[in-house]
Amino acid sequence: LLFPLASPLNDEGKTLKSIKASFSNVANVLLDWDDVHNNDFCSWRGVYCDNVSLSVVSLNLSNLNLGGEISPAIGDLKNLQSIDLQGNNLTGQIPDEIGNCVSLILLDLSDNLLYGDIPFSVSKLKQLELLNLKNNQLTGPIPSTLTQIANLKTLDLARNQLTGEIPRLIYWNEVLQYLGLRGNSLTGTLSPDMCQLSGLWYFDVRGNNLSGTIPDSIGNCTSFEILDISYNQITGKIPYNIGFLQVATLSLQGNRLTGKIPEVIGLMQALAVLDLSENELVGPIPPILGNLSYTGKLYLHGNKLTGPIPPELGNMSKLSYLQLNDNQLVGGIPAELGKLEQLFELNLGNNNLEGPIPHNISSCTALNQFNVYGNHLSGSIPLSFRDLESLTYLNLSSNNFKGSIPVELGRIINLDTLDLSSNDFSGPVPAAVGDLEHLLTLNVSHNHLDGPLPAEFSHLRSIQIIDMSFNNLSGHIPQELGQLQNIVSLILNNNDLRGEIPDQLSSCFSLASLNVSYNNLSGTVPPMGNFSRFSPDSFIGNPFLCGNWLGSICDPYAPT
Amino acid sequence: QVVARRRLGGPGSSPPTCRSKCGRCGPCRPVHVPIQPGLTMPLEYYPEAWRCKCGNKLFMP
Repeated sequence: LLFPLASPLNDEGKTLKSIKASFSNVANVLLDWDDVHNNDFCSWRGVYCDNVSLSVVSLNLSNLNLGGEISPAIGDLKNLQSIDLQGNNLTGQIPDEIGNCVSLILLDLSDNLLYGDIPFSVSKLKQLELLNLKNNQLTGPIPSTLTQIANLKTLDLARNQLTGEIPRLIYWNEVLQYLGLRGNSLTGTLSPDMCQLSGLWYFDVRGNNLSGTIPDSIGNCTSFEILDISYNQITGKIPYNIGFLQVATLSLQGNRLTGKIPEVIGLMQALAVLDLSENELVGPIPPILGNLSYTGKLYLHGNKLTGPIPPELGNMSKLSYLQLNDNQLVGGIPAELGKLEQLFELNLGNNNLEGPIPHNISSCTALNQFNVYGNHLSGSIPLSFRDLESLTYLNLSSNNFKGSIPVELGRIINLDTLDLSSNDFSGPVPAAVGDLEHLLTLNVSHNHLDGPLPAEFSHLRSIQIIDMSFNNLSGHIPQELGQLQNIVSLILNNNDLRGEIPDQLSSCFSLASLNVSYNNLSGTVPPMGNFSRFSPDSFIGNPFLCGNWLGSICDPYAPT
Repeated sequence: QVVARRRLGGPGSSPPTCRSKCGRCGPCRPVHVPIQPGLTMPLEYYPEAWRCKCGNKLFMP
C-alpha cells in the first residue's frame, strides 16, 4: 500500500515548520515533525490541537535539550493557550510577536539561555495567568505594562539580570498570587503599595539591590504566607507592624537592619521559619521568642545581639535549627535547651558565653551539629555526650575547656568533624577516638595533651586531616599510620615525639601537607615516595633528625 | 488564601487549625512544607508554608 498523496500543510502546519527550523539540536527530539511522512501536525510531539477546530492550542517542548531560538512565527498561532519550552538551551531574544498569541493562558520559557529585554508586547496577552521566565539571562526593566494583564496569577522572573525598580503598578493586582523576583539586580525601595496585593501568598525579592526601609504598613500584607526580602540593602528598624503579618516564612537576612528585635515577633506563632541573621541588630534576644512553639528554624546569627540566651527558647519544641553564632551574647548555655528534642543544629559559636556545657544538652538526641567555637566556656566535656549518637559535627574549639578527652567520644560513631583545639585539655588522647571510622577532620591542637599518639588512629580510614600540634605528645609516630590512604594533612609539630619517622608514611599517597617540626625525632627523613615533596620546614627543630637541609646533622651543604 | 488567623484586634498569628480542610480524610493536621522557588543553591533552605495533611495528601488550609 502506497502512502496516500499528502495534502499540503495548512498555515499552522507551516508555522510549526518555521518554528522547528529556528530550533537546533532537533534531530532526534522533533523527528516526527515531518510533513513528508505525517502531515497531521496535531499528532506531532508536543503539539496539541483543539478537537473541533484542529487548531494548535498547546505547545509543550519542555526539557528536550533544544537549542536555537524561538521563531517570531510563533505569533501566528493565534489559538495557542499554552507554551511550555522550559528546561532547554534556547538562546536569542523572546520575539515581540509572542504578544500576538492573544489566547495564551500559560507561558513558560524558564531555564533557558534567553537574553535581551522582556518584550512589552507580553502585556497584550490579556488571558495570561502564568508567566514564568525564571533562570534566563534577561536584562532591562520589568515592563510596567505587565499590570495590564488582569488575570496574571503567577509572575516568576527570578534569576535573570533585570534592572531598574519594581514597577509600583504591579502591586495593584488583586489576583496575583506568586511574585518571584529573586536573584536579579533590581533597585529602588519596597513600596507600601506592595500590600495592595490582596491575593498574594508568595513574595520573594531575595538577592537584589533594593534599599530603603521596610514600609511601616507591612502589616497590611495579610495574605502573604512567605515574605523573603533577604540579601538586599534594606536599612532601618524592623517595624512593629510586622507583627500583624500571618506569614509562615519571614526572611530578612543579609540586609543592614538596625535596632532591636521587636518583641511582637514573639506573637507570630504561624512562623515556621524566622531568619533575621546577618544584619546589624542590637539589644537582647527577646525571651518572648520562646512563645514560637511551632517554629522549626530560628536564625539570629551574624548580628550584634547582646545579653544572655533566654532559657525560654527551650519552649520552642518544634525547633530543629538554632543559630545564634557571631553575636555578643553573654552568660551561660541555658540547661533548658535540653528540652529541644527535635534540635538538629545548634550553633552558638563566636559569642562571649561562659560556664560549662549543661549536661542536659545530651537530651537533644536529634542533634547533628553542635558548635560552640570561640567562647569562654569552661568545665569538661560532659560524659553524657555519648548519648548524642546522631552527632556528625562537634566543635568545642577556642574555649577554656579542661580535663581529659573522654573515652566515650569514641562512641559517637557518626562524627565527621571533631574539633577540640585551643583549649586546656590535658591527659592522653584516648585510643577509642580511633573507632570513629567516618571521621574526616580531627583537630586537638593547642592543648596540653600528653601520652602517645595512639596507633589505633590507623583505623580512621576516612580521615583527611589530623592536627595534634602544640601539645606534649610523646613516644613514637606509629608506623601503622601508613595505612591512612585518604590523609591529606598530618600536623604533629611542637610536641615531644621521639624516634624515627616511619618509612611506612611514604605509602600515604594523598599526604600533601606534613609537619613534624619541633619535636625530638631522630634518624633519617625517609628518602622515598611522597617525602620528596615536603620542604625542610616540615622537619626543622628536630636536632637529631638527618635530612636534606641546611643545618641538619647530616647537612649536605655543610663545609667539610 | 489567608492561612493563619488574625487574633482579633491585635498583632500575632497562629498556625491553621485545619478543621475540615482535608475533605473526608482524617485526621487532618497542619504541617510545614518547603516551597521550592526554582533552582536553589545547595546551602539555601527553602521557604516554608503551612498546609493541611492527611495521610500522604496535602490540602490548602
